Amino acid sequence: MFKKFKRNLKIFLLFSYHSLKTAGQSRQAMVFFTLGKVLRFLFLFGIIFLVFSKTKIVAGWSLRQVIILYLTFNLIDTFTQILYREVYRFRPLVLSGNLDLILVKPYHPFLKILVGGADFLDLILFFPYFFLLLFFIFQENISLFSFLWYLVLLINGLIIATAFHIGVLALGLLTAEVDNAIMIYRDLLNLGRFPIEIYQQTIAFIFTFIIPVGIMITFPVKALFNFLSFKNIILAFFLSFFFLLLSIKLWRLGLKKYQSAGG
Amino acid sequence: MINVKNLTKIYKVYRKTGNLLTDIFFRKYENILALDKVSFSIGENELVGFIGPNGAGKTTTLKILSGVLFPTSGYVSVLGFFPFKKKEAFLKQISFVMGQRNQLVFDLPAIDTFLLNKEIYEIDDHLFKKNLQKLTAIFSAEKLIQKPVKMLSLGERMKMEFIAALLHQPKIVFLDEPTIGLDIFSQEAIRGFIKNYQKEFQATIILTSHYLEDVKRLAKRLIIINQGKILYDGSLASVLQKFSHIKYITLILEKELKKEILLKIGKPVAYQFPKVVFQIEKKDLSNVIAYINDKIPYVDLVIEDEKIEAIIKNLFKNHK
Repeated sequence: MFKKFKRNLKIFLLFSYHSLKTAGQSRQAMVFFTLGKVLRFLFLFGIIFLVFSKTKIVAGWSLRQVIILYLTFNLIDTFTQILYREVYRFRPLVLSGNLDLILVKPYHPFLKILVGGADFLDLILFFPYFFLLLFFIFQENISLFSFLWYLVLLINGLIIATAFHIGVLALGLLTAEVDNAIMIYRDLLNLGRFPIEIYQQTIAFIFTFIIPVGIMITFPVKALFNFLSFKNIILAFFLSFFFLLLSIKLWRLGLKKYQSAGG
Repeated sequence: MINVKNLTKIYKVYRKTGNLLTDIFFRKYENILALDKVSFSIGENELVGFIGPNGAGKTTTLKILSGVLFPTSGYVSVLGFFPFKKKEAFLKQISFVMGQRNQLVFDLPAIDTFLLNKEIYEIDDHLFKKNLQKLTAIFSAEKLIQKPVKMLSLGERMKMEFIAALLHQPKIVFLDEPTIGLDIFSQEAIRGFIKNYQKEFQATIILTSHYLEDVKRLAKRLIIINQGKILYDGSLASVLQKFSHIKYITLILEKELKKEILLKIGKPVAYQFPKVVFQIEKKDLSNVIAYINDKIPYVDLVIEDEKIEAIIKNLFKNHK
């Protein structure tokens, strides 16, 4: 088991090294790409400060709490962008038929098509988000217990994000459609930048139970501030497990139905 | 080593009706029978050529044997495994090279992919060095492995694809149109490589190709497939016996003869003095030779079989 994990880790690191070497070939693109990301981050930070210059509380959340929520969103978003970048390149892989050569390799295909193209440009932003988040969290009076729930629910949120990405891959196998599906995911995730309480009750329900962006982002932060009931924590674990199982089932169905390009 | 019984594969293909609403909401699908109850076995260290026109089912067969595709029905066993289960122990013993697909990282030198494959297939350092040296030597490609793949020509890239696919010494190699799009020199290099590799590593190789020359040069056994059915499975030499009823006789005449004398053999397929070519039925061969020896003064006489390309072409034509 440990040997298998070690080997998979080695393969993952080699894929990541290839990805880094490939990205390093165009230095200008690297600079502009990073600059764009920093500007986007600053712009949204500006909006939050603008909103709170007019009002003290939004849907029961204070400025600092909204900042922590926003940084949590960015942390999850950046982490999935770093790790699951290869999903964005899945469609050409299916259409060109090169996916066939991955399917005959003796490793789980997710090693390549899910996590095989780690994007190190996003890593540049990951650490500022992480340290800013810690900075704002330590400004608050938070118990160790709440902080641990926050971390556990953060991992739970990443499991849901993983399930989303596996679902997109399965869809790619079944329909060769990836681009729109991943953009829908991105748009839905963006709705999680703000507390789900700002949306109408019906929409908040959808974002919790059907498209669980609320569970991914709002729930960990709610747990941090003791806003989340134990019932909801259990529900969050149950839903992430359910979504992961569903996405893996969908992937297996996709493999069975996969027709491959050409030939 | 490979056992296939009644293997069937049906593709579900979306058919456009031209009506936008119907195409979106009431899609029509058509079942395409790619393989129709195909059965064959392949033993150890065999090199089998799969030939057939486009859409015959060659690549589909290879993709099922390698575990890429799930068969609709039938029995498939490769090295004792059901390929689609994609067991690691199975995948470590096979390799797949496709003429127009690639596993090499486009922006990086091929050596990076080789080192990745070393980890994927858990090849120990000594074996990796030995195999890399051997394989690059067969291709005389020692210098190419350090060049970024995007800088290589198609032929050079194909050589690197072969090395990447064979570093782990697979027991079974699936080659799907490996020489497609290559110039004659690269084709020749690839053919030589396949021959050397099989001899050196005792591998079982299944080769599909549009170029009959590949199959003629490499395979002793031939499987001819058309519209998902196997038309022939046997030795290359037996194809002639089984399907060819024709011989060609070429004569270099000593002097010009009256037309009637030549017409007694049959209508020549080509005639330009002093060369004349006849196409005759095999069963008439001895009578015709006796007649020529008796009646026709000639400088040279050559008897040839029908070209294998023509035999196979006729076979496909008759099977339509």
